[in-house]
Parts: sequence; structure tokens; C-alpha cells
Amino acid sequence: MAFEIGIMTFGELTEDIATGTLPSPRQRAREMIQQAQVADEVGLDIFGVGEHHRSDFVGSAPTVVLAAAAERTSRIRLTSSVTVLSSEDPVRVWEQFATIDLLSAGRAEMIAGRGSYTESFPLFGYDLRDYADLFREKLDLLLKIREQNPLTWQGRFRAPLVDADIAPRADGDTIPVWVGVGGSPASAISTGRLGLPMALALLMGPLTFHEPTVALYRDAAAKAGHDPDRLPISINVHGYVGRTSQQARDVMYPYFAKGMLDNNHQRGKGFLLSRAAFDAQTSPGAGLLVGSPQELIDKLLAYHELYGLNRALIQMGFGGLPQKEHLEAIERLGTEVAPVVRREVAARERRAA
Amino acid sequence: MTTAAGYGTDGAALRVVVVNGSPNQPSKTMGLVDVILDTLSGMLPVETSRIDVYRLGPGFTGAIERDDVTPEVEAALRLAETADLLLAATPVFRASYPGLFKHFFDLVDQYALANKLVLLAATGGGDHHALALEHALRPLFAFFQALTVPVAIFASGGDFDGTMLLNPRIHGRIQVGLTDVVDLLRARATGRRPAPVHLSEIRAS
Repeated sequence: MAFEIGIMTFGELTEDIATGTLPSPRQRAREMIQQAQVADEVGLDIFGVGEHHRSDFVGSAPTVVLAAAAERTSRIRLTSSVTVLSSEDPVRVWEQFATIDLLSAGRAEMIAGRGSYTESFPLFGYDLRDYADLFREKLDLLLKIREQNPLTWQGRFRAPLVDADIAPRADGDTIPVWVGVGGSPASAISTGRLGLPMALALLMGPLTFHEPTVALYRDAAAKAGHDPDRLPISINVHGYVGRTSQQARDVMYPYFAKGMLDNNHQRGKGFLLSRAAFDAQTSPGAGLLVGSPQELIDKLLAYHELYGLNRALIQMGFGGLPQKEHLEAIERLGTEVAPVVRREVAARERRAA
Repeated sequence: MTTAAGYGTDGAALRVVVVNGSPNQPSKTMGLVDVILDTLSGMLPVETSRIDVYRLGPGFTGAIERDDVTPEVEAALRLAETADLLLAATPVFRASYPGLFKHFFDLVDQYALANKLVLLAATGGGDHHALALEHALRPLFAFFQALTVPVAIFASGGDFDGTMLLNPRIHGRIQVGLTDVVDLLRARATGRRPAPVHLSEIRAS
């Protein structure tokens, strides 16, 4: 499998660490499309938009952003990262992604997830107590819609479908559906049983963090009769590609620390990630994809070797990284990192074959 | 709730009594217990009864001493005291078992569990709660001089899809833990076919 490299964003609306001002939502929305455009121009493989339902992010409707990105790009694949499927209607989800697929000539994909935040449940009238059942049922319906039309289907959380005509259909044969997995053993196992590609998320911690997750996934897939070697795995991880190792860390740290302060709590309050703690996360044995182009190449190849990873989606805008630095990093990722990683992985796979 | 499973043609059935410390229905704790009981019934004939401490009602929660309990609660306590294997299963709340779970054992006779086989099982929000089994649950049964099974079983929230236990490592640990003591379980089995006790008859209304 070819190694794919991409970027993802949530459209962060974080106050500027120097001036204390908030970027305007209009400006941030446009910047997301510009990021997609640059990523496409420099030859990156995927552009992802995540979903948060809070006013410190503009990305609550990823499909709308992806549709806009489709108009400004020509080759890059367009994915949600993730679609919080548990609080969605799979019929509507399918219609939207199929429309993006038509607009983009077959470039739409989605990552179906449970979401790392729970805001969408009360917003759309779902009960968190049904957390597991909601995801299971909605994923089942989504996959059935993808598989056949018209469709007759019955479940607990929406009206039954009787010979329902769900349109449009995909531009090509299908729309890839990945499942987002944060690392809980049960999600890895159920994703493996379904034989679906797995999109791992790693916030911080060692590079090896997901070894047990991947082992459980492959094992469950094999037991259910799927060939684990044919199942793609991707990782969504924070990072930044700088000119040099030092410049990358210096640029990323203050924004990443700000993003962590706003989003990660201890005793109900944000806590400051110290520079020393951040630097530890950037070491070769840690998961963050930050550093010089060569450091990123080395780390992506380490991920490939460790997990048999086929795809990496890097989130570089966490904490409100300014657009100028963001676009520079996208360019370096596309021109200096991705070609080398793709070539090295292809060479490895030729040797293995 | 009473279920009976796996009556063999030889040997008596093991009378297992589950003391359930979870307030939830359905619950992950009972999801874990289901796997334990399934594994157990694959090894020897088993009769199962279950006491839900959160469903025993005011006759239980209002009792300060054993003499205060209603006949239904008395029957539940007797059931636990006379089990061949007691399966103590509880979620970890606030670093330990819930208060109502402890209240049940506060009413159990001081010597009724001496040398009784007790299997410990717990669920928690994350793996860091696992040692509550060793630091909270096992000492409780050490007080009773019970014979606790060496391997205690823990599962985290992430090991479940809903209340179904998916993590094969925990299935494996259950197998190992029960295999350790299977001879002892056979030796302690006193159940007779048929006549399992129906807990619904003795549960407080």
C-alpha cells in the first residue's frame, strides 16, 4: 500500500498568544480552504476537517468545508477527521459525502468516530447512555447504505427504511469509510471485526502507545476472516514541520501549550504544558510529529515500521498557529517530507515482496 | 434473577452467588460477570443466583443491624452465606467499592464466609483502578477469613462495547484464574439438580 500523508484541521479559534485577540471566524473559515489549496498544490494526499461543536472552533460542519475545498483543489482526497457518527443521521451523512464525491470527482472519504467530546449528543437530542449502541447502529446503517440501494433497514434510533432510495450514489465504486479509534481495546476489536480501515488518534505519549491497539485490531480482523495485511491503518497526530529542529519546536510550543491549556483539564482547569514536558514529547521515542523535515521523515518511517502504518494525518494548527507558519509547514510537508517517505516505504515494500 | 446452566451427568453443581455492587442496569460489571459465568459453566455444572445490592430496597438500606432486616433481605444474606462460590463483583467508585456493597457485607455474619471460596471482580473507568481489587476488596474478605481466588478479574470501560466485554486478554485472564482453582471448585460443589433458588421470590419488593 502506498504511504499517504495529509493534514487535518478543526478550524481552531484560539486567542492569539501575543495580542490576546481572536481571529475572526470568517478569516479562519477562509484559511481552512487556503490550507487545502496549498496542501493540494504541494502534492499532499489528504485534507481532513474535524468536528467540534463549540465556539472556539469553526469546524462543526466538516462536509460544508470539504465541499468548499473540493472547488479549490484537484487531486487531494477530502475526508472528515472525524464525523461524530453517533449523533448523526447516517442517511444525511451519506448524502453529503456522496455529494462531495461528485463535486470532487471521487475524492471524498470519511472517518466515522465516536468523538473525543460529547457536546454533539445533547445538541442533536441523543442520550450519552446510548453511547455504544448509537455508534454500532449508525455505523451499521451507514455501511448498508454504502453497500446497496434501495435499502430496507430497521433499528432503534431512527425510523425504519422501507425500500428507501438514498441518493446520490458515490462517484466511483464506493466512498472509503474509516473508523476513528482513540485506543480503547473494544473500539479496536469491533473495527477489526468489521474489516474497516482504522484511523488511530494519538495526542501525546510514546510512539509505541498504540502497539496493543494495533495488535488487537489485526487479531480481531483475522479471526473474523479479513486479511489484516490488506487493512489500512492511519494515525492522526499533532505536529509541525519547521526549517530546523529548533525552529520547529520554538514555533509549535507556545501554540500547542495554549491549545492544551484550553482543551485538557486537571481538577477542572487547564494546565500549562511546560517546555520541558513538550520537548520530551518531541524526542525520537515520542509520538508528536514535530521537527525538521528529516526528523519527520525518520519518525514517519518509524511509525510505518512499528504499526505497518499506511497514512498519517498531521494536525498543525492546534492552539491557533498563525496561517503564515501553517502554510509554510504544509509546503515543507508536501515537498520535503512526503516524497522521501513515499519512496522509502515503496522501497521497503518491494524488498518485502 | 436465577439462571441455571451446564448441568453435568456426574458431580454436583457449583452453587454460585453473585453479589452485584453496580447500580446500573445493564452494567459493565454484570457484562464481566456474564463472561466469568460462561467460562465457569464450561468447566463444571453451575447454578447461579444474583443479589443486586442496589435493588434490595428500604428493608436493606434502612437496616442498621442484621436483626433489622426484612425476611426477603435475610434470605438474600443467607443465600450469600451458603454459596459454594461467592462472586463479589462491583464497580470502583471513589477509589473503592460502593457503600451499599459494603453495607451488604456489614450485615453478613462475621464467621459465615470463613474458608468460603470468593472470586473478586471489578470494573472501573480506567486501568488505574485495577488495584482496588487488591487494596480494597481482598482485605474485606481477608477480614472474613474467606478463601479468595488468587487471580482477581478487572476490566476497564474501554474493554467494553456497551456492556459486552470485548478485550480477549481479559477473557484469557478469566480462563487462567478459574483454571487455577477448578479442582477446588469441583470439590466444593454441593448443588443438587434441579431446584435452583429463585431470587425473584426473595428479593424485597
